[in-house]
Amino acid sequence: MTMYNLTTDQRVDEALANNFLRQATRRATDRLRNNKYKAADELGNWEEWRGAGETIRKHVIANLDYYLNQLIEQMEKRGVHVHLAKTPADAVGIVRKIVHEQEAKNVLKSKSMISEEIHLNHALEKDGVAVVETDLGEYIIQIAGEPPSHIIVPAMHKTRQQVADLFEPIAGHALSSDTPTLTRFVRLQMREQFLRGDIGITGCNFAVAETGSIVMVTNEGNGRMVSTLPRVQITLMGMERIVPSFRELDVLLNLLARSATGQRLSSYTTILTPPKHSADSDGPEEYHLVILDHNRSEILGDELFRTALNCIRCGACFNVCPVYRQLGGHAYGSVYSGPIGSVITPLLEKDWKKWGHLPYFSSLCGACSEACPVRIPLHDLLVKLRMRKTQSGHTPQVEQHIFKAYRYFFSREKTLRRVLRIGAHLQRPFVRNHRISGGPPPLSNWTKSRTLPMVAAKPFMQVWADLKNKR
Amino acid sequence: MTTTKDFINGLSSKLGRPTPTKAPTPVEISVPQYRLSNTEERVSIFLQNWHALGGKGAIVRSENDLLQSLQEWFRDQPINWIKENKLALLAWDMLPTIAESAFSSLNWPLTRYTQSSLNIRDRYSIAAQAELGVTGSDWGIALSGTIVMNSNPLRGRAISLLPPRHLAFIEAAKIRNNLFEVLHEVSALGTPPAAIEMISGPSRTSDIEMDLSIGVHGPIEVYVVVIQD
Repeated sequence: MTMYNLTTDQRVDEALANNFLRQATRRATDRLRNNKYKAADELGNWEEWRGAGETIRKHVIANLDYYLNQLIEQMEKRGVHVHLAKTPADAVGIVRKIVHEQEAKNVLKSKSMISEEIHLNHALEKDGVAVVETDLGEYIIQIAGEPPSHIIVPAMHKTRQQVADLFEPIAGHALSSDTPTLTRFVRLQMREQFLRGDIGITGCNFAVAETGSIVMVTNEGNGRMVSTLPRVQITLMGMERIVPSFRELDVLLNLLARSATGQRLSSYTTILTPPKHSADSDGPEEYHLVILDHNRSEILGDELFRTALNCIRCGACFNVCPVYRQLGGHAYGSVYSGPIGSVITPLLEKDWKKWGHLPYFSSLCGACSEACPVRIPLHDLLVKLRMRKTQSGHTPQVEQHIFKAYRYFFSREKTLRRVLRIGAHLQRPFVRNHRISGGPPPLSNWTKSRTLPMVAAKPFMQVWADLKNKR
Repeated sequence: MTTTKDFINGLSSKLGRPTPTKAPTPVEISVPQYRLSNTEERVSIFLQNWHALGGKGAIVRSENDLLQSLQEWFRDQPINWIKENKLALLAWDMLPTIAESAFSSLNWPLTRYTQSSLNIRDRYSIAAQAELGVTGSDWGIALSGTIVMNSNPLRGRAISLLPPRHLAFIEAAKIRNNLFEVLHEVSALGTPPAAIEMISGPSRTSDIEMDLSIGVHGPIEVYVVVIQD
């Protein structure tokens, strides 16, 4: 049974029972968060940088039609094949067609969240194409058949021994579980793949509208391999990944590297303005850009949620979220986890039945909004999503009944008094130190991990009436 | 199949207005940028940051300085590499004069990547088997310890990527304070080259238990020589 078949409660129970996962998530998010603080401090006035990031992203999204059109014009002028995909199925179809036309057998991928979003690997593998994830973390979870558990560190939930066990059948011999051995194995293993690849598929951190350039950041160098060696390159981008020009790119690259890993710049920042010039001695000869909508245009048209498109996918909100830090990414059940995943998944997928739990994976503490380098009010969006879900009638029946009962009693003063009096009697067996603990379901769902205040022996309405009488 | 016009018009309608025909007014950007007062400081901070990332680096003022650094870093390894593979030292077509002359004095023969084979796939194999890639740089960034290289027909992107070691030369005057200054100059080029590679230290990953590991795909060892006039 994979995590996709489990219910939300089952996934949460699994995560809570997995001590390694929880410790690893804590350790990784602590490290990433502290690195970010250091990197943010040394840049000077971080709030000014955040402010600039927010202004740039808002400006881009408010003018997305103009900038996207400019990007497409620039790309097509130079002979890049630009493909527009309304749905994930369209995007998969476009990539499959290119792969088929090229008679490609070996496809190399560097990290792309869009490819996860559209479930591309599965479709290509069904066509008999060998797809290799070349980012170490993505490679690990590809072999394990799991989705990423963190947007920046996708295999953070795996122990080194688990990684060694996954690599051993490929190596054909036992592997020591120390990190340098595992890294060396992947280097050697991947070298052959890089030289054999027919098509390279990459993601896109930013696309520069003015020049028609694609910007990619990686630390391992796999992004460079995938965008240099295969004859044909396909870049997958969400349609909101745009910056107007290099001027704005400076701010966003600084914010991205520092917020994601605490680096001043990632090890490799590559700016591609494809395709290669005819006399260039290397680089792909043919370049395809696939731009995905997948309900992003719906978000664009929804003023309540438009700011969700400002995200630069740095993962900083994951590292401060008390819910993510307890559970890791798999409990969410979605490709994008963490606070931003809880916001965008219901909006992209438009399926409350499947993703309605996500806006509740939050304590609404606001740490995510504070961490966001482009100041997306994430916790506010989560509250609004809860509202949207309720308005669409997708809240559980129990919850609907509870709120109906609440409305009924709170609009009838005498009945309410009577009920509170009864409640004060009924609660007695469960009251310890003036708090309610224990009790039968559904009360126990709450009290198993915390207490409730007891119903006061003398209700406030009575206290108020007595005070008035005394006067 | 969605046409570009339909796609863009769809977005404009979501934004509740017609598609703009004129470029939007750019936003004002005012952020505190990192600045040093002179080249000497920039060189020093650039090297300090390059070292912190795990790279090796030196400032050279003469060919003798350069010979000393190269010998200290590589000792007689290049001679042995060449014995095994005569294409072990792979380079751009043109390197700074001081570099050309040092390699010549040391009798470490450089293979020019662009001329190593007529076939692109063969060039990749040659680069993958080489021991050292040697390049120049177009810019450096002091704040992040970064070297920046534009692609062009006399160069080759694979030289700084496939060999396990990368040695880059950079003139001190090309080192800028920050990324903004480099991107400003890139912008002034008009159409950028097919690829601009910004490299900050060796290839690295922390994907297994957040344990830092060097050299997963790109070069494991990186060296930079700053040429001071």
